[in-house]
Formats: sequence, C-alpha cells, structure tokens
Amino acid sequence: MSAPTATVPPEQEPSPSFAVRLGVAQRAGGIVVPILTAVLAFLAGGIVVAATGHNPWTAYRGIWQGAGFNWLFHVPWDTNTVHLDAFNLSQTLLVTTTLILTGLAVAFPFRCGLFNIGGQGQYLVGLIVANWVGVSFASWPTLPHVLLGVGAAAAAGAVWAGIAGFLKAATGAHEVISTIMLNWVAIWGGQYLFGQGGPLQNTQNPAAPESGAVAQSAHIPVFWGSPELQGLDVGFFVALAMLAVFWVLLNRTTLGYEVRAVGYNPDAAAYGGIDVRRSYLVAMAISGGFAGLAGALDMLGYLFQFGTLDVQASQIGFLGIAVALLGRNTAVGTGIAAFLFGGLLYGTTRGLDPNVFDPSLAGNLTSMIQGLIVLFVGADIFILYLWNARRKVRSRRRRLHEAAAA
Amino acid sequence: MTEQTVLELRGITKRYPGIVANDHVDFDLRAGEVHALLGENGAGKSTLMNVLYGLTKADEGETIVRGRPVSFSSARDAIAAGIGMVHQHFMLIPVMTVAENIVLGVEPSRNGVLLDEADAERRVAELSRQFGLAVEPGALVSTISVGQQQRVEILKALYRGAEILVLDEPTAVLTPQEAAELFEIVRSLKADGKSVVFISHKLNEVLEVADRITVLRRGRRIDTVPREGATEEGLARMMVGREVLLRVDKAPPAPAEVALEVEDLHVRDDRGLEKVRGVSFSVRRGEIVGIAGVDGNGQTELVEAITGLRAPESGRIAVAGATLHGRVTARRMLDAGVGHIPEDRQRRGLVLEFTIAENLALHDYHRPPDSRRGWLFPARLLERAARLIAEFDIRGGGPLTPARALSGGNQQKVVVAREVARNPAVLVAAQPTRGLDVGAIEYVHRRLLAERDTGHAILLVSLELDEVLSLADRILVLYEGRIVGEHAAGASEAEVGFEMLGGRRQAA
Amino acid sequence: MTNHATPLSTRGSVPSPRAVAVAGIVLGVAAFWSAVPPVAARSPLAPVAIGVVAILAGVWAVARGVRRVGWGAVASGALGLGLGILATRSSAANLQVVFRADLVAQLLVFATPLTFGALGGMVSERSGVVNVGLEGMMLMGAFWGVYGADKSGTWAVGLLVAVLAGALLALLHAVWAVHLRADQIVSGMAINFLALGITGYFFEQLYHKQNIPAGVSSIPNVRIPGVSGWGFLGPAIGDLNLLVWVGIAFVPLSYLVLFKTPVGLRLRACGEHPRAADTVGINVYALRYAAVIVSGMLAALGGAYLSIGFGGGSFSENMTEGRGFIALAAMIFGNWRPFGAWGAALLFGFSTAVAYRLPVYSGSAATLFQALPYVLTLIAVAGVIGRSVPPAADGRPYVRQ
Repeated sequence: MSAPTATVPPEQEPSPSFAVRLGVAQRAGGIVVPILTAVLAFLAGGIVVAATGHNPWTAYRGIWQGAGFNWLFHVPWDTNTVHLDAFNLSQTLLVTTTLILTGLAVAFPFRCGLFNIGGQGQYLVGLIVANWVGVSFASWPTLPHVLLGVGAAAAAGAVWAGIAGFLKAATGAHEVISTIMLNWVAIWGGQYLFGQGGPLQNTQNPAAPESGAVAQSAHIPVFWGSPELQGLDVGFFVALAMLAVFWVLLNRTTLGYEVRAVGYNPDAAAYGGIDVRRSYLVAMAISGGFAGLAGALDMLGYLFQFGTLDVQASQIGFLGIAVALLGRNTAVGTGIAAFLFGGLLYGTTRGLDPNVFDPSLAGNLTSMIQGLIVLFVGADIFILYLWNARRKVRSRRRRLHEAAAA
Repeated sequence: MTEQTVLELRGITKRYPGIVANDHVDFDLRAGEVHALLGENGAGKSTLMNVLYGLTKADEGETIVRGRPVSFSSARDAIAAGIGMVHQHFMLIPVMTVAENIVLGVEPSRNGVLLDEADAERRVAELSRQFGLAVEPGALVSTISVGQQQRVEILKALYRGAEILVLDEPTAVLTPQEAAELFEIVRSLKADGKSVVFISHKLNEVLEVADRITVLRRGRRIDTVPREGATEEGLARMMVGREVLLRVDKAPPAPAEVALEVEDLHVRDDRGLEKVRGVSFSVRRGEIVGIAGVDGNGQTELVEAITGLRAPESGRIAVAGATLHGRVTARRMLDAGVGHIPEDRQRRGLVLEFTIAENLALHDYHRPPDSRRGWLFPARLLERAARLIAEFDIRGGGPLTPARALSGGNQQKVVVAREVARNPAVLVAAQPTRGLDVGAIEYVHRRLLAERDTGHAILLVSLELDEVLSLADRILVLYEGRIVGEHAAGASEAEVGFEMLGGRRQAA
Repeated sequence: MTNHATPLSTRGSVPSPRAVAVAGIVLGVAAFWSAVPPVAARSPLAPVAIGVVAILAGVWAVARGVRRVGWGAVASGALGLGLGILATRSSAANLQVVFRADLVAQLLVFATPLTFGALGGMVSERSGVVNVGLEGMMLMGAFWGVYGADKSGTWAVGLLVAVLAGALLALLHAVWAVHLRADQIVSGMAINFLALGITGYFFEQLYHKQNIPAGVSSIPNVRIPGVSGWGFLGPAIGDLNLLVWVGIAFVPLSYLVLFKTPVGLRLRACGEHPRAADTVGINVYALRYAAVIVSGMLAALGGAYLSIGFGGGSFSENMTEGRGFIALAAMIFGNWRPFGAWGAALLFGFSTAVAYRLPVYSGSAATLFQALPYVLTLIAVAGVIGRSVPPAADGRPYVRQ
C-alpha cells in the first residue's frame, strides 16, 4: 500500500473565490453599493480633515476644482487649455488614461480568480522598455516608432506578469507573493537601469540618475492642449479602446468564457474540459499587457524621461487595485472609477491651489481614501454575501413548503 | 456488567427544510455494552449522534446522561459529560505529533508556562498501553496509517475521560485487517467498562461486535434487538423495508450493441486506497444498468474513472467499441461520447454564476456553431438555450437567468439537458436526483427512461436503492470495490439490499 | 516533508540529518568567509575544501529525507565555494573596503526591522490569518514612535506609542479578517494604503514642512564592556542599538512560545485545522485576534527602530520603503519558523549591507543587488529548493458552527 495520508475534512474545500463573491455582490447591490462605498470613504476622509483643523468642504472643493471637474458643468465648453479649468481636466484625463489600464490589469485576472498586485512592476517594465525603444530607433518615422514602443512595452509587461502566471500554473505558487516580489525586482531594476552608470542612463548628463529622453519621433501626438505644456495625448483613446477590448475579451471570446468559468468555479471548469492552469497563465499575461501598455502610454505620451526617484515614488500601479475593486472588475466600472481616482490624484497634487488646501496633506488624504475604499470593498462583499444568502435560504424554504404542500 | 443505563435519548426529533432527519427516536445505552446503530445513508444515524454530541440542537426530545437530563450546546459540554466521539472525518492535525494532538486543549505544563512534552508522551504511552491501542506518541500524524490515526482519535476521547464512546462509521476508511484490529479494540474497551455506540451500515460488522442493535430507517427507529437471534437477512429487511416505491411504468428494454465496456478496472482514491478493485461490466444501447451500493464503496471513483476525472490504475475502458488509451482527461472522454450527470451539480456540474445559456454551452463552447476561431457567438448560445429550455421544461428563468437563481430541480434539468442534448454514446448519471423534490425526481426518472427508449445507453449510479430498482434493467451491486451481485429488473429490495450491506448467502 | 520529531528509537545514536544539513549551510557560509577579511585566505584551497564538505553534508541530508534544508546546504556550499574563489581573485584592498568588521554591525542593523516584521507575520499566519499589511503596521510604528518620543521626551514612551499604533491598525485587520471574513489580502493591502496616508498626513500636519526637530530621545546603543575595542568583535557587535538585541532575543523567545507552550500549540492548531481546535474547546476567534494584534505590535517595533533607533529621531514619508514586504519574504523564505525567518532576515540584511559597499567594484551593480531578497523568495515559493508550506488553514476564514 502506498504512503498513507490523513483524511481531509470536508470543509477544506476551496472557499468561494473573490470573483464569486464579487459576482454575488454585483447582483445584489448593482451600482448603489460602489457609490455608497466611495461616499463613505470620502466622508471618513472629511472627518479626518475636520478633526485636524481644516475645513473639509473647502478642501474637497479645492480638489474638485484642481481635478477640473467643474469644467464639465460650464457649457458651452471652453477647450482652451490656457484656462485653468480646461487644463486641469486635460491633466486629470491624462492620469485617468493610466489608471484605466492599471485598473484593467487588476480587474482581468480577478475575473479568473487571481489577485494581481504586480501592476506596479508590470507598469514599470513597460515604461522602461518604451523608454528604451523611444530613445533608440530615433531615425524612424513616428507611426512605426510609436507602435514599436507601445507593442514592445505591452509584450514586456505581459512577460513580467507571465512569470507569476507560469509559477502559479506550474507550481501552484500564490500569485500575490510572486507579483509582490516581481514588483520590487522591477523597481530595483529600474533604479539600476536609469541610475548612475546604468545602461539606460541619459548620456547628456552623467550626474543625473535619469533615463535618456525619448526622441521626438516617438512622442504620441497630443490632441488637446499644447505639447509644450503637457497636453492630453491620443493615448487616452487607446485606453478607452482597451476598456472595450476588456469587455469583448471577457464576453465575446472563448478565452473569456474560460477565464470566467475558472474564476467562478474551477471544478466545474475542469469538468467541462477547460485547462485551468493554462487559463491562469493567459489571464496573467493579458493583465501584464494592460499594465505594460500603461507604462508605454505614459512614457511616450507625456513623461519622456524618468529618473530613479520617480521609479521609487510611483504608486500608480497600486492605485489600479483600488480602481478595479471600486469598479467591481467590470469595464464600465473601471472606467468610471479611473476617472474618479484620476481626478482625486491630480486634484490633490499638481492641480491643487496651495492656498486652499496643502497639496501634501491632500496627497496623503488620497492614500487614506484609497485605503478606506479598498477596506470597505473587502467588507461589503461579505455583508452582501450574507444578505443574499439569507434571501436565498428564505426563498428556498418557501419553495420547498410549496412543493410539499402541493 | 450491570444493567445500568448510562445514556438515554428520548423522542429526539430534528427537522430540516423538507425532511425529518429524526422522527421521535428513542435510544438507550447500558454500561459496558456495545450498542450498534444500524441504517442506510440518510437514515438519521449521524444526525442523532450530532444531537447527542452537542453539534446540533434537537427540535424535540431530551437527552439523559447517567440519570440526569442534559442539554449540550457544544462539543465541549459533551466531552465534559464523559462522551467522546470519533468522527468519520478525523479532527487531527497532520503536522503535529500524536501526543500533541491528543493533549491539545488540556496540555500538561511544567511550572504553568512551558509545555511538558515528555509528560504528555508518557501519559499517552500509558493510556495506549492500558487500552491496548498501539501508537507512537512522537510520530507525526501525517506519517501514520489511517488505522493508527483512528486509534489516536479514540485515545483523544479516552484522554479526556470519556466513558461513552461514539464511533461513526469507523470502518469506512479502514482495510479489512485494520477493521479486525478495531473490533479487538472495541472489545477491550468494553472489558474496561466503557460503553460504545457503534454506527454502521455493514451487517457483518455489526453482528460481530455489538451486544444490541438498533435499526433506523428514514429517521424512525424500527426496532432494537439483541445480538442473539439476529440474522443478516432479518436486519436487512428492517433496514431496507417494504415501502411504496416510486415505480415508473416502463417498456421492456431492447438492448442493442455495447456502448460502454469496462474491464478489470482498478482505481485509487486521493489517499492511495484502492477503491475500485477489479470491476468489469458493460452497458448496451437501449438499456439502463444500475449500480447499487452504499456510499463509500467505490462508486465515486468508478464514475470519475469512466468520465475522465481520475486516471485509473489499471484496466480497460472502451466507449462505442473503441478502447481508450493514454492520458485520461475529461475532454477526451467527452469527445469519445461519454456524458456525465455529476453527483454534485453545484460543485462540478454547473457554474452557478453563469447564465443558463452559458452553462448549457459548457462542453461545446469551443466549437462551431458556438464559436469560431476563438470568437464566441452569444446568439447561438441563446438559441440553443431557448430550444433546450422548452424541450426540457426548465422553469424559473430564461436563457439569461443565472443558474444560481434556479431551484435545485431546475438546475438539475439544466445539467440533464446539456448532457442529453449532446447525444452521448453512454450517459453516466451519478446520484441524479440528490436533493430534489418529488416532482423533479419524477421528471428526471421519466427523462432517463425516455433516453433509454430512444436507444441510448445509461449507467445509473445511485445511493437510493428504490431508484435503482425502479429504473434499471440490470442491477449490479457494488460492495467494497467489487461487483458482488447481478440482478435483473424486478429483483426484490431485500435481495439486493442484503448484498449492498455485505451480506453473504450461505451456499445453497 | 521534514520530520521534526525523530522516532524514539533512533534518537541519540546517529546525528540527525537535519542537524547535518544546518551544519552544511553554516559551512557554506564559512567557505565564503574564509576568503574575506578577517580571515582573508588568499589561496582558493580554503573555500574549495570547506565548500565541498558543505555540499557533501547537504547531499547526505537530502538522501536521508531532509530535502529543503539539505538542498539549501548544497546551494550554500556551492555559492560559498564559488564566491570564495572569486574573493581570492579580487584585490585585497577592495575586500578590505567591503568586508570590514562593521559589515556585521550593518548587517544586524538592516536585519532588525526585518526580524521584527517577519516574526510578527509569522505569528499572524501561524494562527491562520494572512498579513500582507506588515508594511503599513511598520510605518505606523515608525511615525507614531518618533512622535511619541518627541512629545514625551523619552524613547520608552515613544516605543509604547508605536506599539499601540501598530496594535490598533492590526485590530482593524483582525476585525476584517476574522469577524467580517473579508478577503485577507484585500484587507492587508488596504491597511498599507491607509497607513501610508495616515502617517504622511499627520507628519505634514504636525510637523509642517520641517523634519522632526533634532534631539528627539532615541533608543540608546548598548556598549558591551570589554568587547568594544576588541579586534573583530568590537566593531561588529560591541556597540549596537538596544532594539537590535531585543530583536535577536525575540527569535528564541518566539520559538519557545510557539513550540514549547500550550498557547503556542493552540495557536498553531488554529492555523492548521481550526475545526479540530474548536472541537477540543479552543476559542479560535480569540486566538486569531490576539495573534494579529501581536503581529501588529511586533511590526510596529520594527518600524520604531527605523525612526527612533537607527534613525536617531527622524522620519520621512514612506520611511519603510518596502521593508515590510521584505519581512514577508523573509517569513516565507524561512518557512514560517522563527529561526528560519531570522536566518532569512540576516541573509537579506547581509545582501543590503553588501549592496551599499559594492560601489567599490561597480557603482550601478550595487543597485541590482538590492533585488536579491525578492529573487530568492521567488525561487523559494516556486518550490525549487523544497516546498514552502504555509500553515494549512492560512488565509481561510473560519466559521464556527
């Protein structure tokens, strides 16, 4: 007889995956719950602001204006970005572009039951590769140069995430741990590459730990505002298109069918003949592609150069987690949440009038709100799960009584 | 040995939505006796013991321990009252030693802070010597055999001063030798003055070890008889009973060519135990072959092997004449023509978050007309769903309703519809009516017979003997991994039930 | 899987394979160490000889079933051998710069917050609650510790405040994970974001644009009399911060509590098989709450060391800079055991310390070296060197029936 093992108690069965819980939540709460979550978080933030002696109303209004949201309400719309409101909104949309993609990078694997915390690292990898392509190949015409940069970056992000996906598929290694580790490898890799003596450091100024500047031919065309003053580039439409791609992938392809099946119920998926491990790998690779694309659009859209300090300070990949969770891992939700967070991020930093509210305070307020939103999302799922379960038990009891009486 | 009653359960009633698990059951246990609780699956044995042990609260009735009425709200209370339970699924921690598992919660300590490991091991060794339960205190639970693990569970109860021991289907996980050792242990516990409740469905075991036997059937106590004078036939008759069956009228079978052939199949479970030990049979088109047996005798593994969810250790499977070689996957079996109605529709059969249409497409979504080159056509899925919903009378929603919202019966209809509509060479139906109400059961039965009449081959594996008897044209009895009997339609319940419980006929 | 309880019959007769494997790891380190100051043997024979012995010890252990530590010994021996040979080829002057005696001191300094964090994470996960919020708890400890020390004038109060802050944040995680049964990783990440925001906000609010004023009471160093001036040991361990020693002391302490006391046994039972623990009367909820709060306190101590120990009374936004995640990595790399986690923390501390001195060889390569802890952990979770096995019920919310 082969080696004996202990009996496994029945409830060591897999607990419902995050995708299931979110699915339940969606059905129960619809759009009300995310709005409520955001409102609660802002309320809590406001309490902190008030408790420390500031006026939350002026603070939030300052952030609102800083984000340029007030521009939307002044019809007819004045598109001249010399005016502050228009400029603010264009900048908010610039950040929204990135957040849509880093949000999708989290949302897509969530639908497959995977938690991708590696968006930051995948973003950086894409950014680095885009920078390299942008600096090299300077003699190329614009369209192929940009396409190459964007394509290579997305591929690089896909590979980076694919490492974690491969480890999960082949060894069962938990993707949370491996993506966190890969994040830091990317961060240190970036610091090495752009730092003093690093291979991608700019050649003009050896004292500065910065990357080279992307050649003009690789700049993504700007369509709103002036390129000198960091206008909104066409990448914004690419991001919007990716929302559609996300939706199409999930709902109109066999790949999406498999990803969703695995996310909801790996046992049934296997029974139906789906290769669960392959789905994990593919889902992670696609998500890395989204994040890498975000890096490319940022680098070739308005950053053009990146230093080691920027590598350290960047948090936009992590913000994607909050975006995806608030948006319930759907295309529309992610888009709206990205817009909200984009406004919050810009409106509390460069967009904020320092006389109204201190930007460094506001920036940290953003982090707090981000944390609260993620926290509330974590809890409301459970509350809704219970609520839904209670409703189901009651209705099932009713049905059984009816059947018995019949 | 005194006639003193140490435990009495009076009028225990426990209701769950839709069924009465225990219906005014009386049970008493005398000091120093082994009292067997005998019954099929679903008879109410485990529920009764859960009530006793404080894991569930009874709706009516009372529990009296040593003359005093008690009310247990948790396992802790029961343990404090001297009742110890050895569950079917062990509550042992694999990465800890035997001694650690036994003393957990009541650990001996040196000067109040440190764990006294040596003392723990000493006490465990002493206890094991006293009761003849050989274990190695310092061994990790993950390294010892299942039989030894069970002994650890028993020691756990004895360590806490249990005078009354409840053993729940203890031989379900044991080899025959280990079972024999267990009976020795039970006898020595008795000799030490302990009282034992022995829960089982196996006739031969019960007759070997028990002093008295109480038979439960469908939540009711049928009778309590002493060992002397009890026979296997008599007990089987009490257990299986003579009841009004849901007999469905059916036409005589017209079996054609062989659709499924299984030859000398051996299958091991996750723990490495051989659960299917050389099974051979065949199923022809136009007939229903039913496999009867009590849960745990190898049905699950047999079905998994035939449907590609578990690789068999050895043996041959041929579908529609073609033997299947090489790597076994679910998709291969599906493509070869095996349809599968799984025994756990919510876990295996359906993706509850998917719509009815998406669930119906689970096996074929990757093929035309549902998709082409990876591009999915939802309209085709909806078409198929509308067609099948009408054909199979699925109620509770339309093609876009999530499966979660349907009743159990309608969920099963979705599974049946999906499998049947694919026109498989052989349809394997495992517990197809589990958890369904009467109307849904009737529907599934009618459907299976309809499929049979249109020339399909059906392998029905069910724990409900009534179901097998009423539907099957040929009945095979599975006991401990082997086919121990074959009957034609019309066989009596007593006969078949007898074999299911391991009964052996005397040579005529 | 490694059997940490040897059968009674073989105890005492043959050295346990596990001990041999551990010795192999130590020998591997020694192989490398023989080629660098203070030993600084110039002939490659020394590292080769010691390294080979280490490899053999590892192979012997693997053959006897101790896979994970055995392969670790083989790896350690091979690396020690290889790096030792490299070291003998490098110029003696360069070696002197890198491997001064105070390298050991620096190693311990970097390893201390990691040790606290890893031990904290271990306590929480051993009870069954995943804690990726170590970074946030550490950060809270760093800020509130220095704030407390500043306002009260003594570092002791600062430590108390730090521990309290960490405990409160951990309480939040505990409620979410144990009571609300939320996804524990989501909750942990939320904690990290919250802590970043809270500490940054109040740092701005309370100290405006300036840094913490100089002269804040900071945790004193411990000068060991008689050792301080003495050869190699002096600069190595003669003048280390108190908290460094506390951190080191916590390692055997946590081992003792976790593996030698009833409380520790019950805690581990909650993390392996909560239902079994429940049926024998253990209060799983209460123990998990306690474990998570303790983990917060420990992580906060690590953070406080950064600000009022090593930092001498300073703070900067996001001061922890990912150390909480390295601590998480150390815990995993150390297989959820106290000494293993500590060994990993020392290893990671060593690589960071060396990274700071590598510019003597190549400026930029030093940066890459900082990624080593993460790469090592990736290899560990991939199960390349034996399987990394968390407590069986880790991350699974428990529902009492």
